[in-house]
Amino acid sequence: MMRAAPWLYLVAAFVFIYLPVGALVLFSFQGGSLPVPPFDGPSLQWYGDILSDDDLTDALRNSLIVAVGSAAVACALGFLAAYALARFVLPGAALMRGLLIAPLTVSYLIVGLGLLMVLQRLGLGLSLWTAGIGHVVINLPLCFAIIYASMGAQQQNAERAARDLGANEAQVILLITAPMLAPAILAAFFLSVTLSWDEFIIAFLLTRFDITLPVEIWSMLRSGLSPRLNAIGSLVFLVSVTAVLLLEILVFRKRA
Amino acid sequence: MTAPVHLDGINHWFGDFQALTDISLDIAAGEYITLLGPSGCGKTTLLSVLGGFVEPSQGTVRIAGQDVTRLAPAKRPTTTMFQDYALFPHMSLRDNVAFGLRMGGMGRAKRHARALEMLALVGLEKDAAKRPHALSGGQRQRVALARALAVEPDVLLLDEPLGALDLKLRRSMQDELKAIQRQVGTTFVHVTHDQEEAMAIADRIVVMNAGRIEDAGPPARVYRDPATLFAAAFMGEMNRIPGVNENETTRTAFGKIHNPRMPEGKVTLCLRPEAIRIGKGGFSLGRATVQDAAFFGTHVRAHVTPEAAPDMRLVVHLPPGSIPEPDDVLDLCADHDGLTVFPAEEA
Repeated sequence: MMRAAPWLYLVAAFVFIYLPVGALVLFSFQGGSLPVPPFDGPSLQWYGDILSDDDLTDALRNSLIVAVGSAAVACALGFLAAYALARFVLPGAALMRGLLIAPLTVSYLIVGLGLLMVLQRLGLGLSLWTAGIGHVVINLPLCFAIIYASMGAQQQNAERAARDLGANEAQVILLITAPMLAPAILAAFFLSVTLSWDEFIIAFLLTRFDITLPVEIWSMLRSGLSPRLNAIGSLVFLVSVTAVLLLEILVFRKRA
Repeated sequence: MTAPVHLDGINHWFGDFQALTDISLDIAAGEYITLLGPSGCGKTTLLSVLGGFVEPSQGTVRIAGQDVTRLAPAKRPTTTMFQDYALFPHMSLRDNVAFGLRMGGMGRAKRHARALEMLALVGLEKDAAKRPHALSGGQRQRVALARALAVEPDVLLLDEPLGALDLKLRRSMQDELKAIQRQVGTTFVHVTHDQEEAMAIADRIVVMNAGRIEDAGPPARVYRDPATLFAAAFMGEMNRIPGVNENETTRTAFGKIHNPRMPEGKVTLCLRPEAIRIGKGGFSLGRATVQDAAFFGTHVRAHVTPEAAPDMRLVVHLPPGSIPEPDDVLDLCADHDGLTVFPAEEA
């Protein structure tokens, strides 16, 4: 009896975590028009329905563009900031590090509102670009922190050796530093992709006509529950899981 | 490729700390030099000055007659083999060795051929496709050597290259380093704190302490006739016998020696353990009581207390044939040419 207790606890914990996701995925295969028990599927009709909906597929594509684009920019900027702060003695380096990481503690709502005010004052229209800028703002601190933490003496010595052998600064960064930090850079990239992929508040505040998937889902929610939402949710979940698996396979397996 | 190096009046400060003081040194083309000294003596700083990683506060560095004092490492005819090898972990051995040639603009086929040649020189041509993490410490060290030599530097700088290897491997790598240096003819400047390594490998040893050169010369000369007390002590175990110089004669507890070289005043007389033997003649140390003795294969190392100076403890190397017992009494003496005398250090 006592030996079963830990297992019971483990099962209960996982049920608690995964029951909502499981229910979401299960009722995306619902046959009827309400995502509530009893389950009368399986049926793929809702998947067919959402994939033939142009608004939804546009939003899906927009989300991918914003996620990959903003993650790439956040990684590049984070890498350069980390390289500068790890390799050079700069006045106020501690303050700069603090200022780079501080936005992590600011809520997305505040970041989004602030950007909205700035953009409107500048007279820039809202678009996918502005949502992308917002996602760079929230992901840059994370990318910086991950990449900065992995910069150690090992790369520094290799960089020194490369310079000694005649490499210029650009060659050092492209041929030595970036490849040696590839695991950290990829981890930062995939994490940024998943965070941007299902980010709602900033995308909601900073887009207008072209919108990302979470914003589209929100507008659909206003017309009530439907298995369509379950199907979309399952697809979003699938993309996030894929990103995490890619991260696992490309980055962490290599190290072992 | 090889070239002479001239260091002239090098001084360097890190903030208020003077790391190098009045360093002047001429190194001949093709010479194997070791910079020997305890940690913090400035030997690695001096190597960095040669490699261009540190620009000296004062003085000039000339390589092959050209003033390179303010030249960046990449622009100098030097390469450095770093203490931790600093291999590129994401590249194969071939690409590691070819890196410098690639930076120099050599074509792919040509530089790969050259890299394989260099790997063959260090006996690793079969492992060209491997990554550095698949190698042992000694092999990594060879790759670092091949990579540094591939660009045909005039001067190769080695920063404690054998420090991370175990003793046995270190001794065999010493021989290999020396053999490769003879083969390529490049000027080698090798930093170490191990005096045995320095003696095994160098044409000339430069002993450094507190940012200064204490002595520079062939190993046998530096060992037998060191220029300073520090050099004497650092090169190996040493008995120090206090004395006083008066009228060209040094007085010690063991008697007088004629010594016209030294100024008057307190002196320290240095005697290597192996210069002491059982018997009479030369400089007599008189009777001494054995405290303990241990067998070292090539010799027996014993601590003895001489009767003439009961508060002194001498280290003596005796022939390995017989091991004395504690409390045995020996009659000891030393040859005059095994003695060196220095002004006493200010205590």
